[in-house]
Amino acid sequence: MTLGALVAGLLITAPAGASREAGQLTVFAGSSLRAVFPRIDVKPRYNFAGTNQLAFQLRRGAPVDVFASASPAYTQALFRSRLVERPRTLTYNRLVLAVPRSNPADLHSVYDLRRKDAKLVIGTAQVPIGSYTRKVLARLGLLSMLDKVVSAEPDVKSIVGKLSLGQGDAGFIYTTDVRASAGRLAAIPIPARGKPKVRYEIAVVTSSKHKNAARGWVRAVTRSPRARALFREAGFLPR
Amino acid sequence: MRARRWTFTAILVVALAGLLAFLVVPVVAVFTNVPPSELLASLRSDAAVDALVVTAKTNLVANALILLVGTPAAYLLATHRFRGRALVVTLVELPLVLPPAVAGIGLLAAFGTQGLLGDEVSALGMDVAFTQLAVVLAVTFVASPYYVRQAITAFEAVDRTMLDAARTLGAGPARVFLRVSLPLAASGLGAGAALAFARGIGEFGATIMFAGSLQGVTQTLSLAIYEQLDVDFDVALAVSAFLVVVSGALLLAVKLVPGWTRSGWISPTVSARSASS
Repeated sequence: MTLGALVAGLLITAPAGASREAGQLTVFAGSSLRAVFPRIDVKPRYNFAGTNQLAFQLRRGAPVDVFASASPAYTQALFRSRLVERPRTLTYNRLVLAVPRSNPADLHSVYDLRRKDAKLVIGTAQVPIGSYTRKVLARLGLLSMLDKVVSAEPDVKSIVGKLSLGQGDAGFIYTTDVRASAGRLAAIPIPARGKPKVRYEIAVVTSSKHKNAARGWVRAVTRSPRARALFREAGFLPR
Repeated sequence: MRARRWTFTAILVVALAGLLAFLVVPVVAVFTNVPPSELLASLRSDAAVDALVVTAKTNLVANALILLVGTPAAYLLATHRFRGRALVVTLVELPLVLPPAVAGIGLLAAFGTQGLLGDEVSALGMDVAFTQLAVVLAVTFVASPYYVRQAITAFEAVDRTMLDAARTLGAGPARVFLRVSLPLAASGLGAGAALAFARGIGEFGATIMFAGSLQGVTQTLSLAIYEQLDVDFDVALAVSAFLVVVSGALLLAVKLVPGWTRSGWISPTVSARSASS
């Protein structure tokens, strides 16, 4: 009977132990927001991953209160499906070509990719960073560089990981990711005409059980001077 | 008394039923989400076909390596008792229990461009990063213990009097190994190879960390499932269904092929046990 008591005890205590404290928000956010969200507010439970994966999980019923995307494509699609409330602009970012600090392929411009035999690491076509990357390459007439791609990663942090370890020679990521790498990566700017507009959107999830708190949180991260300052400090562009 | 025994049996049956239901439902769900015809059609998509080719190629090479090196290594461990043997066997078995993420980071730290042996590897003119060689290394690392462990058991089960007889008849150690031990252990080795293969084709964590993911190059079946999840769920399901069928067939083969059940790695079926005893 002791075993039965033990099991019953576990069943009673486990949910209490595993569940969040009352009113704790769950925030799903694109991988690149890892550099700033926890600095603005440590309290919510964060899930940082590729925006497309997070949207997939949301559609499959994940309990989420706030959804932040590195591209309006996903927030707008979720809004059309009535899964999130009207999205609002969160911040802006910029793409760069990142190389490991040692710059093994000796790259100094995006056009060097044409001449150099560089191992290029980019995002999959579904994740925002990957779709932005394809836009950049198309605008600069560098689409053939896709042949130099050695790995298509599911999110920004995986690209950063492969570059930081020197496994890849170059990769397209956000300027904020280079800043967050604490010197392990160096950025090569992309010519102005190739730059895609990277706009982040944030929205309250319709099924949230803490809608008021979620709305307040969204207001705070989009409007409060402190949040705006932290976004700027992390390298995001002002709205 | 009789009623008590009955109750006990009933509890066992309920436990088994609960376990079966829990384990079988997700597997069945892979097949019932979409009609079989659509599953087959999705399996013919580019992503699935490319992943199948990559998986087949890398796993064939990896398993050839495992058999080639693992067989003599297992023979040594099975036939010799020496100081530190337990430690060696533990090291060989370690990847069995290592989390895939640990295997991935270990491979990166060892064979990565900036890894422990990175310079040595590139000095050999080999480029590991993001190549199928990286996939082969990942598969070999995680799958080899499945074979070696089984092979040690298989060699240990060979009747020593047979080996002694061969020796007294003048056979050298290599000849004893090739002509006596190997044939007698063959079924056990086959079971081990099947298990290693089943583990290898499902490899995910170490591969995505160490080899990256690129369709047609390093994207294996498991990585394709991951990437297709939000692109085309049907393709992800189709690839999953395929892996269920192949893995299930391998496991069943290990149980059903005569003699493959000799060792204790896989629980033998009742009929096989009575047949062999």
